[in-house]
Amino acid sequence: MALPMRRTLVSLHRATCGSLKSAEVSLDVRHPVPLLLPVRTKKRYFIPPAVGRKGREEQSEESKARAAGFVVRQQYYERPINIACTAGIFDPYIPPEGDARLSTLSKEGLKQRTEQVRQTAASQLAIRKIKEHDSQFATKDFAAQAQEIFIEAHDALTQFNKEKLHSLVTERCYPEMTRGNRYKTIHWRFLESLEPPKVVHARCPDMISKGNLYGQVTVRMHSKQTLAIYDRFGRLLLGSEEQPKDVLEYLVMERHLVNPYGRWRLHGKIVPSWAPAKDPIIKTLLIPGPELKPGEEFDALSYEVAKPKAVQWSK
Amino acid sequence: FLLVFYPPSQTSLQVTGSRWRSSAALMSPHHTSASLESKNWEKRNRKVFPPQLPDEIRRPAEIHHSRRQIKYSKDKMWYLAKMIRGMSIDQAIAQLEFNDKKGAKIMKEVLLEAQEMAVKHHNVEYKSNLYVAESFSGKGMYLKRIRYHGRGMFGIMDKVYCNYFVKLVEGSPPKAEEKTSFDQAKEYVQSLKNRTIIHSL
Repeated sequence: MALPMRRTLVSLHRATCGSLKSAEVSLDVRHPVPLLLPVRTKKRYFIPPAVGRKGREEQSEESKARAAGFVVRQQYYERPINIACTAGIFDPYIPPEGDARLSTLSKEGLKQRTEQVRQTAASQLAIRKIKEHDSQFATKDFAAQAQEIFIEAHDALTQFNKEKLHSLVTERCYPEMTRGNRYKTIHWRFLESLEPPKVVHARCPDMISKGNLYGQVTVRMHSKQTLAIYDRFGRLLLGSEEQPKDVLEYLVMERHLVNPYGRWRLHGKIVPSWAPAKDPIIKTLLIPGPELKPGEEFDALSYEVAKPKAVQWSK
Repeated sequence: FLLVFYPPSQTSLQVTGSRWRSSAALMSPHHTSASLESKNWEKRNRKVFPPQLPDEIRRPAEIHHSRRQIKYSKDKMWYLAKMIRGMSIDQAIAQLEFNDKKGAKIMKEVLLEAQEMAVKHHNVEYKSNLYVAESFSGKGMYLKRIRYHGRGMFGIMDKVYCNYFVKLVEGSPPKAEEKTSFDQAKEYVQSLKNRTIIHSL
């Protein structure tokens, strides 16, 4: 790899030897020979860039400017942020236990129905506030509208149409819907609605400053859907194409009321604590066992895997 | 997997001197991709296959992983890469753990990273159910220094770097077909018998 290159030492040799040819000069050693330094005139085609770097130290532009006397005023890196949605669900709706399980003809079913029909005062107040800002808001039509938005949003998710999805779903809901789905294929179908959707809850929280109102409305819907998720290689991860499932969902729709261009968008879902467990995935997972000290033995049969508590959570 | 688009990452290399990187477009029209910055091996992990029908054979998962700019020679790395080709991942990790070469330690890290990636992101069920389908090393970007010789002479010294690429596939490693000498002899005799004269009367 190291290619030795010749220096012009020949000229130096010739110069020193040439002057020593005459006999008188060769005898007198102390006679100084004019030193001829060879100057390289041939262009060197490649010099490794690290040659001139050793002595030089880094001098930043800032220190150079300061030395010259040029002062730069302190720069503020500020950027305005537009918040178009809230960070969560304020005062979430707690669905009553056994919802959609009891038939309406039994005594418990009737009690549930009457409770559901009479909405709380806070919800009525919130609906009135929403009607102030949005004159076209009607509780009866809104539920059907919400279902349409829900179906459109999930269709956009299957096609992964980002722009359409952003317009139908709030910024808080978007990452929750799409996390981990970039390299997966989702096949989703909405078959039919078993019960007409209903508005069950409404709230009007304000963020940061008073008067910056956002409206959050919870809609309850009972429907039949099919879902099949395939991983990156086209193998089935979850669900099946043919088998439909009855789904009871509580959707939360949100709109920035103060903004004239605001739209009702899907903000999240409420999963009640009594919801049935989902189907297991077609995969074996490794659950890490307890930390053992050297010499201890692990009894796999008596080890119990910790189950999470049944809490209501909003997705 | 967070849905964030990463811009093409700027490689933090100590590239000295004038290097014109984005001039791939200015150069000949035949080279359309920037050869200095292309990370094609990692892009193979982004390919999404269409969903399979239930009666098709299950497609084995493929995981591509690499490490760039390893301070080691590509020729020395090749010996290790050739050694683990076709081995199951557990066997490969075991062999590299007890190998004395410097590249073996780095290669073992790469394999463990790839195994973890496979289980976490690429839906591989059993982490031992993988084998090394492809493994090779390539040249990285070299630094150039001066090596001083006597009599004012010098040579350009290359500080070598290499890249290591590995592809793991789900399943048990394919068995190499063993041909006995008798089979080979039979084939030879058969090839002699197959000789014929064409276009003859």
